[in-house]
Amino acid sequence: MNLTDQDEIGNYVEQVRQALGGLPPATREELLEDLPEHLAEVLAEGGGTLVSRLGSPSAYAAELIASAGLATGEAGEGGDARGGLRGRARDLRDRAREATRRADVRVGPLLGYGKASEFLALLRPAWWVLRGYLAAMAFTYVFDDNSAPIGLLPRIGGSGNELIALMVLAVFVLGSIWLGSRTPSKRMPRLLFRAGGAALVLFAVVGFFETDGQARRGDPVQAGYVSEVSRYSDVQDVFVYDDDGNLVRNVQIYDQWGNAIEFGEPGCIDPMTGDWSPARERGYPYCPDQAPFRSGRVAPSPSESAVSPSATVTPHAAPSVANASPSRE
Amino acid sequence: MDRSQLLKGVLDLAVLGVLKDADGYGYDILRRLRAAGLEDVGDASVYGTLRRLYNSGFLTSYVVASEEGPHRKYYSINELGYGELRQSSKVWQDFSSIMDGLLTDHSERRVTL
Repeated sequence: MNLTDQDEIGNYVEQVRQALGGLPPATREELLEDLPEHLAEVLAEGGGTLVSRLGSPSAYAAELIASAGLATGEAGEGGDARGGLRGRARDLRDRAREATRRADVRVGPLLGYGKASEFLALLRPAWWVLRGYLAAMAFTYVFDDNSAPIGLLPRIGGSGNELIALMVLAVFVLGSIWLGSRTPSKRMPRLLFRAGGAALVLFAVVGFFETDGQARRGDPVQAGYVSEVSRYSDVQDVFVYDDDGNLVRNVQIYDQWGNAIEFGEPGCIDPMTGDWSPARERGYPYCPDQAPFRSGRVAPSPSESAVSPSATVTPHAAPSVANASPSRE
Repeated sequence: MDRSQLLKGVLDLAVLGVLKDADGYGYDILRRLRAAGLEDVGDASVYGTLRRLYNSGFLTSYVVASEEGPHRKYYSINELGYGELRQSSKVWQDFSSIMDGLLTDHSERRVTL
């Protein structure tokens, strides 16, 4: 094959391509796929130009369209049951397309665009980002075997590390954007993409309602310590009595983890004047004068009597001022 | 009678019939059809038909590197294609025997009359 053959082939292919201009690009390229090679074979046989052998490029294109069953009314010639079924399916598809097109035009002006599809096309990159997020969430939900409920970040390993979660999120979002910018032209991957997108939307809807439900219920695990304490939120002061019914002063209270338990403000309100003054004591009670029970004598502070600060406070023994416990020494 | 009109209806069957013997690429299939006697089959018709049969799932394709020319896309008939071939062959045989019957009856009566 020499250069002029190449040129002739190139010209012919280009003209056929133009004549096929009404077809979707993917279909057109499919039809043109074998053409250069075929034209080379025809020329190799000798015996005239391509046009004299094959007819005009537009006639060639018309024949190609007709035989490939792409022209309307052409493929119905089969006539068997399969053809009839296929014809009905095509009819249904055409009608669905027409309805979509009409809705497209009608909804468009409501959004301030000529067509709704113009507006949706602008949202495409936003969908890529959302798709990346949903894919990350779905990925960690499926492949990370923790029983924790769905949160808002794609966490790996239960509560996990926020940094890793953010990195996973970034990778998925960037991947999704990258995939979005190069749409596959083959039929199968495109179908897979759509199916995957639909699955993610379904996942998103389910996840959304689940997360919403959790948020309204108020997750007891996360609320934790604060909500346990909140029952005592109107406690202003704490009075600890020892076995003998004596008020213990300068008490520090701790929980099992060693965290200080704090009630009220370190100060006293004078019952006569209503004035607030900062507490002079180092621990509870802030206001020993306001103790609810009278004690025989004031017990030494815990540091002096070597009572461990983590000793459990036993409330049942506290108010027994007059009746000392029989078991005492 | 316009042969090309007749050919349009049976080109699917003809192409499947060619491919049942051996796989082939576009130009090769065209040559085999012409060698079998369908001289007036159009180049574009064969390519269009191949594309349509392929899209319908009756053919599978593979690319073979060629030493002297471009890579060639070979088509081969698959299970679904064989099914289609069997069904279409039966339709064609029924049809052609009906036509034979019609034409034979007609000509015999003419002869006897």
